Amino acid sequence: MPAATSPRPALDWLKHLLEETVTLIRSSEQQPRVTLLRRFPVPRNFALPGNARIQHGRTWRAPPGAKRVKRFEIYRYDPDSGENPRIDTFEVDVGSCGPMVLDVLIKIKSEIDSTLTFRRSCREGICGSCAMNIDGSNWLACTRTIAGTAEPSTIYPLNHLPIIKDLVPDLTHLYAQYALIEPWLKTRGPVPERERLQSPAEADRLNGKDGKGPAACILCFCCTAGCPSHWWNGQRFLGPAALLQAWRWLADTRDEAAGERLDALEDPFRLYRCHTILNCTRTCPKGLNPGQAIGAIKQKIAQRRS
Amino acid sequence: MQNLGSAREGARQWWMQRMTAVALIPLTLWLAASLLRHVADDYATLIAWLRTPLAAVLMVLLLMALCYHMALGLKVIIEDYVHLDRLQIAALTLIDLLSVALAVVGIFASLRVALSA
Amino acid sequence: MPRALRPLSPDLQIYRPQLTSVMSITHRATGVALSAGALLLVWWLASAAAGPDAYARLHALLATDLGLTAMLVWTFALFYHLCNGIRHLFWDAGRGFGLRTIYASGWTVFGTSIALTAIAWILSSKV
Ligand code: HEM
Ligand code: SF4
Ligand code: SF4
Ligand code: FES
Repeated sequence: MPAATSPRPALDWLKHLLEETVTLIRSSEQQPRVTLLRRFPVPRNFALPGNARIQHGRTWRAPPGAKRVKRFEIYRYDPDSGENPRIDTFEVDVGSCGPMVLDVLIKIKSEIDSTLTFRRSCREGICGSCAMNIDGSNWLACTRTIAGTAEPSTIYPLNHLPIIKDLVPDLTHLYAQYALIEPWLKTRGPVPERERLQSPAEADRLNGKDGKGPAACILCFCCTAGCPSHWWNGQRFLGPAALLQAWRWLADTRDEAAGERLDALEDPFRLYRCHTILNCTRTCPKGLNPGQAIGAIKQKIAQRRS
Repeated sequence: MQNLGSAREGARQWWMQRMTAVALIPLTLWLAASLLRHVADDYATLIAWLRTPLAAVLMVLLLMALCYHMALGLKVIIEDYVHLDRLQIAALTLIDLLSVALAVVGIFASLRVALSA
Repeated sequence: MPRALRPLSPDLQIYRPQLTSVMSITHRATGVALSAGALLLVWWLASAAAGPDAYARLHALLATDLGLTAMLVWTFALFYHLCNGIRHLFWDAGRGFGLRTIYASGWTVFGTSIALTAIAWILSSKV
């Protein structure tokens, strides 16, 4: 029956609303699609330092005869030019391109503008190099399909990091934060004759039954770069990637330094700046759950106090 | 600040924020339901309600939990966004003082209504 | 180049609003709104303690359009913060971290707090 002649339009509308909501919830495990709002309603250069304000760049037109043209707006920064960052628009013939966003970047670099700079290595989602902000949320360029992106698609480097060139951020500070949680096995007892064994259940705490435990983290820093709390207090808050790894060692039955590790974490900033926003879990391209790991650390600390 | 090491605290504030939150669930529900019942009361009826022992005790408990929870929460927000040391310390102190003042005034007013002859 | 001179990549300006961040900032905003509400609660108690005249003055103030709008905002703020606070407490107990659960509980909180606000106002207009 057409909606206009329905005897109960309000009910139909409510049903429709409910169905939409259910679809939204169902799709929450998939790669994020552009929904209601593309950006928060703030000016594009809001609160950015003078040298970081983004300017309009140039448009690279598609070659004549291109079959399926798609536009990509890409953040550019050239340290040698002395100029501010800019947004260049590339018209790419995706008809003659591989299926992933990384394929587009490689195509641009080899056919349109060879100065476009980005990190990549494995092109199969395991090295963590190609993490960037695609259509407003962080993901690996090599596991993000072109078909799933917006028109035009926007590509920025990982958020709130010093930019070396184009899509390449300086990760020094994030690696230092990772080092701070001392990501190695610490023991006190005598060194055993042979390997330190774990039961399958104990190993599951690290690898996850579904392969999505903390040990599956590829340190791409999509999560930390997408965490608002890390934007505002990144100098002191360790961020989800480092904290997920802290949990990885706390959860390891072979490690004997849990108390010492918790001491180092128990701090209003290092750990407790996490406000369970859960942008981290939403964005992790490996489907891991840093938010849950941080919750587990907080629980451990609460436990040892009582 | 990284090289200053871990403060080895922060758990208490976190825990008390949760505990006061748990206490506030029934207390705010009670407050909302009571205010709904009493919006249209005249002054005398309202005072009669506030003088019942249950209302007086719950109101005092609510004020204590509320002001504690509020102070912890507002301080977290200041720590997040205000990074000038002096301004931050001033704001944090102000929140503490105002929250205590608010609790004292509120509890005093409740008891005055409840206990005056 | 020294690191201090490198431009900072944008964050809030370009990060896509999603349920997780929007609900979190709303929890914060409602927390601040409720803090102002706590001020009002104490003012209300104090005026009740001060006598019928003071109480009547505050009551008149709250009956203005501005007063009623503020009350409507506070009602929603209370119910939202309460429902989402319970959602937070579940997380703190280690539950509800799956992405689907996060989204399902999030929409439930939005729906419930709007419904509770509506119910409260319908009931209060009946008495
Ligand atoms: C009615 C008066 C209340 C006031 C004035 C109030 C105020 C606040 C404030 C200012 C914050 C800080 C927000 C932030 O850090 O972003 C906060 C956080 C919080 N509130 Fe309330 N609140 C109230 C009631 C409640 C209730 C009834 C609950 C119970 C479920 C609750 C649960 C929480 C939780 C769990 C947090 C921490 C969230 C986080 O870690 O970010 N609050 N509250
Ligand atoms: S948790 Fe996920 S998003 Fe974060 S660094 Fe590891 S793999 Fe990347
Ligand atoms: S849950 Fe914690 S770590 Fe993850 S995005 Fe939120 S504040 Fe950041
Ligand atoms: S290239 Fe290795 S993760 Fe994308």
